[in-house]
Amino acid sequence: MLKTSRAQKFIKSKVFILLILLVLEVVVFTILSQGLYVSIINIRNILNSIVITAFLTVGAVLLMVRGYVDISASAVGCFTTMMVATLLAAGMPWPIAILFCLIASGVVGFVNAVLITECGFQPFIVTMAMAQVLKGLQYIIFGTNRIDIKDPTMVALGTQRIGGLVPYTLVLALICIIVYGFILSKTYFGKSIYMIGGNPQAAKLAGFNPKKMAYILFINDSILAGLAGCLLAFRMKAGALDSITNGQFTGMTGAILGGVSFGGGTGGMFGAFIGMLVISGFKTGLTLLAVPPWWMTFGSGALLLFALAFDRFASFRRTKS
Amino acid sequence: MAQETEVKTSVMNNGSQGLTLEVDNISKSFPGVKALQNVSFKATSGKVLALLGENGAGKSTLLKVLSGDIRPDEGEVRINGVPQKFDAPVQAIQAGVSVIYQERQLVPSMSVIENIYCGDLPSTKAGILRKREMKQTAEKIISDFGLDIDPYEKLGRLSTAHQQMVEIMKAYRRDSKIIAFDEPTASLTDTEVTILFDLIKRLKEEGKIILYVSHRLAEIFQITDEIVVLKDGRMVKQLNTAETNEAELIKAMVGRDIGDTYSALKRNDKIGDVLLEVKNLTTDAIHDVSFTLHRGEIVGFAGLVGAGRTEVVRAIFGADPIKSGEVILDGETVHFKQPKDAIEAGIALCPEDRKEQGLIRFRSVQDNVCLPVFQKMKKGLILDRKKQEALTEKAIEKYSIRTPSLEKLVVELSGGNQQKVILGRWTSELLTTKLLILDEPTKGIDVGTKAEIYQILCDLAREGKGVIFISSELPEVINIADTIIVMHNGHVTGTLARADATEEKVMSLAMLD
Amino acid sequence: MSGSFIKRITRNKAFSLAVIMIVIWLFFFLINHNYFAGENFTGIMNTSSLSGTIAIGLACLMMSGSIDLSAGSIGCFGGVLVALFLRAGMNWILALVLTILCGVVMGLINAFWVNVMKLMPFISTIAMSSIYQAMAVIVTKSNDIAIGEGAFTRMGTGHIGIFPVPFIIMVVLMIIYGLMLNYTRFGRRLILCGGNRTAARLAGINHQKITTIMFANCGAISALAGAILAARMYNGGPRAVLGAEMDAMTAAIMGGVSFLGGGTSGMGTIFVALLLVNSFNNGLQVIKVNSFWQFVTRGGLLILALIVDYFRESRRQKALKQGAKV
Repeated sequence: MLKTSRAQKFIKSKVFILLILLVLEVVVFTILSQGLYVSIINIRNILNSIVITAFLTVGAVLLMVRGYVDISASAVGCFTTMMVATLLAAGMPWPIAILFCLIASGVVGFVNAVLITECGFQPFIVTMAMAQVLKGLQYIIFGTNRIDIKDPTMVALGTQRIGGLVPYTLVLALICIIVYGFILSKTYFGKSIYMIGGNPQAAKLAGFNPKKMAYILFINDSILAGLAGCLLAFRMKAGALDSITNGQFTGMTGAILGGVSFGGGTGGMFGAFIGMLVISGFKTGLTLLAVPPWWMTFGSGALLLFALAFDRFASFRRTKS
Repeated sequence: MAQETEVKTSVMNNGSQGLTLEVDNISKSFPGVKALQNVSFKATSGKVLALLGENGAGKSTLLKVLSGDIRPDEGEVRINGVPQKFDAPVQAIQAGVSVIYQERQLVPSMSVIENIYCGDLPSTKAGILRKREMKQTAEKIISDFGLDIDPYEKLGRLSTAHQQMVEIMKAYRRDSKIIAFDEPTASLTDTEVTILFDLIKRLKEEGKIILYVSHRLAEIFQITDEIVVLKDGRMVKQLNTAETNEAELIKAMVGRDIGDTYSALKRNDKIGDVLLEVKNLTTDAIHDVSFTLHRGEIVGFAGLVGAGRTEVVRAIFGADPIKSGEVILDGETVHFKQPKDAIEAGIALCPEDRKEQGLIRFRSVQDNVCLPVFQKMKKGLILDRKKQEALTEKAIEKYSIRTPSLEKLVVELSGGNQQKVILGRWTSELLTTKLLILDEPTKGIDVGTKAEIYQILCDLAREGKGVIFISSELPEVINIADTIIVMHNGHVTGTLARADATEEKVMSLAMLD
Repeated sequence: MSGSFIKRITRNKAFSLAVIMIVIWLFFFLINHNYFAGENFTGIMNTSSLSGTIAIGLACLMMSGSIDLSAGSIGCFGGVLVALFLRAGMNWILALVLTILCGVVMGLINAFWVNVMKLMPFISTIAMSSIYQAMAVIVTKSNDIAIGEGAFTRMGTGHIGIFPVPFIIMVVLMIIYGLMLNYTRFGRRLILCGGNRTAARLAGINHQKITTIMFANCGAISALAGAILAARMYNGGPRAVLGAEMDAMTAAIMGGVSFLGGGTSGMGTIFVALLLVNSFNNGLQVIKVNSFWQFVTRGGLLILALIVDYFRESRRQKALKQGAKV
């Protein structure tokens, strides 16, 4: 049996183009910032910014491989940022506070899944409406003031770094990426996501359960976003409003850049990881160059469009060959 | 009213007398299939020309060429000797060609009037609709058809038969010179068929060219004047309806060699004990279906499209909910809530629609073969790659699937090889499949591969498995299955043994009213 | 005859929506009698004119089988632009026309992504939404831009009888577009396009052309809506119109426009649905519920509209099935 060699396959893949893009990005920003881009401080910033994006990306990748999308993820993150701060301020021990946050996030995912699988609504519109609902509930329940977090363990978790460089939270994020990457590419569960994403009907007739999978993935996505929100609160030592506003598409954009297309059934965690690095590097670069924050909003939309167009051209090239 | 019709008719007669349609040397290929090869025929005005052929013979492709929906690779269509180049359907319509497709091209949310006018609404120069004119014409057309339809009713609220009639009204309204019907009677009741045939006769007298696609021979003898027989994308012959008979047509449609294919099959001769018993199975779509299947037996389901055959097997497989009735597998009453349970009990289903329900198109051959057995390939936490490769290679070898590698996307294979991938999926040694259900496994597949698939079915029976074989191609069911069950309108209308089954018998049961 | 007339009315979607609206009115009236005060109704009319104007363009676009989630952001940008043009000393009519033209351009950019690049309308317009939004903030440096021009602001603040001018503009536009949808060749083609794309193609209708026009139209109307709001507020604020597209979409869906094309609705039904949504939002303010509940109700109403639509549709399908069998 004929087999394309791994190296050949890699060079043809989207991930390879992305890696080149990443290198280019580093070079360009280093030149523009007169070397500041590769300074310790900036690298610390980049590493910091990866954490939240990583969690959002992981959840988005799984959902998108299944062919779904969740716009409410960042709203869930904002919500738990405030929630964990409020609960801790009320004197709740941290494990229970985090647990409650994750349960609340899970409920959101569950509701999304019910509306999407049982009623057959468009994931886009359901999760978009859900994001609005969450935003409102967050203001109503937790108010609009900043709530400080004083729990020493959690502040330490959020702010301390191994060797003064790598944040503990980043370690968590990397573990998360590796574990989910492993699940996605090597295990039966991961294979089921690809199969169901590729063709839900055929997968169902071959013994898979697409409905159950939808529930698992939506709940998983929300919980990961909720966890990201908690970690963000610990890093900022407070729950503050609209902490992940610009993160609305971050997870999605990284995933699409990395080759997870909207149709479902394709892409992988490694590609998404690189895609995420490209985005984080880009955003930190803009911050470093003191680009005003509203340009970041602009950038997040433009990046998403770029990713979509990139995906379109890459798949065009594939079908052509 | 009647007078008005007369006037309209005479005006049109002037325009379309002595009209000819020539199809000259048309060829069209799709990836992996030669849909049409050098098809030529001529149709003249005032005659109904039948296009006859089995599924996949190229009838639909030919209609799409005529309607300008696809462009032929070679050859041309001439109307009155003038070559026509259709880049889009609208050009064909302007040239006076209307094709009434099987899948209705209607808009459920719009009114009957607007559907009759579909996209060609009469308006003033400023673009304002002439509503009164539309209403009057629509009412006149409806009364011409002799139907009781409210022209303002939303199309989606009409019965399927009436929707089909509206589709025909569309072509009638356009006053096309050439009208092609693609199996128009598939969803009509007897009354409406009578109305339709009267209408076709009238159109014929008006001097139009009518193309009539169907595989119901009785209809063809009833209303057509000439017959063009297609087989595997080639034109076999053009005949006068009056000078031919059913036997000749069937021979032309099926070809000479097919009988040899059937006699060359190595069949199973030892039929075992009862494997599956279905008693009074009833769902939303089927009523009171009962039958028995033995080990080593091939049970064929015949009937028209929509007769409920697919629904029976889907219910058995746990894909559709059962209202009442019993399914007994190996002496045990089973009730599968989802396909997973059925698979675990040893049933496999190769669904009707390969593309939509069978394959995961943009995944590799390997993934598609291993689909139902991934769970059995766990090695600790991970899936064993080597096992998957071994299993796939075995399937490729067993069924001689033509693929350059295991990684090839299944969408890039030909139809026959795709079907073999699905067969390989369900016959691996990791599954203890006792009963294999194949729903239209030979649809859109070339003759050579068809013969291979027949042999695979017989081999499965020889291994002692039960096989349910659904097909719309009569010769196939009659010659392959040991027992033939005929369905009509959700009911079983007859059960025949292979020795007793003839096309006439099966057809009369399938069309029982 | 009269029986079937009553039947027709009760089967009408606008009728059932009106009943719900009256229930909502009574509910809020019972809690707070001020709900029926004249100025409160003026308030409802004013707020509904914003989302209502956007709903016109959006509903037409949705009927043709696409969607634009950036309509609100285009509105923001429109409000900012008109204020900037006026500050530059431009004649107000010219400023308004230019703003609408900018809206057309923004709509065409959306159409480019959807029709030329073949991206999904949902995701590409949501991305464009953040771009337009950011642009609005960037050009104003995040400040509101005051408008002094009297003739222009009267367009937003004036009254004719008891009706505010923005409300009248909306109603007039609704009538024009309603007539367009029902009585012109283009209008019916547009609906045919959304209803069955294959049928449209076979009938020689260019789907891309129609959605491109509808994207441009939606952009133009959204920009106009933003400009009118700016006139009413005496300034162009970069965040003023945010969220209005949600209300617009909710009203359109409640009015029967389906998400993926195919559903149609008269402008009258959309009008009633729109009043319903705004009466509800306004009622919450009147009974002094925390204003953040508006976020919740916005999303919640949209989901509710979808659910009601779902049940109505499944009941209809069921009736159709049974009808066909009998």
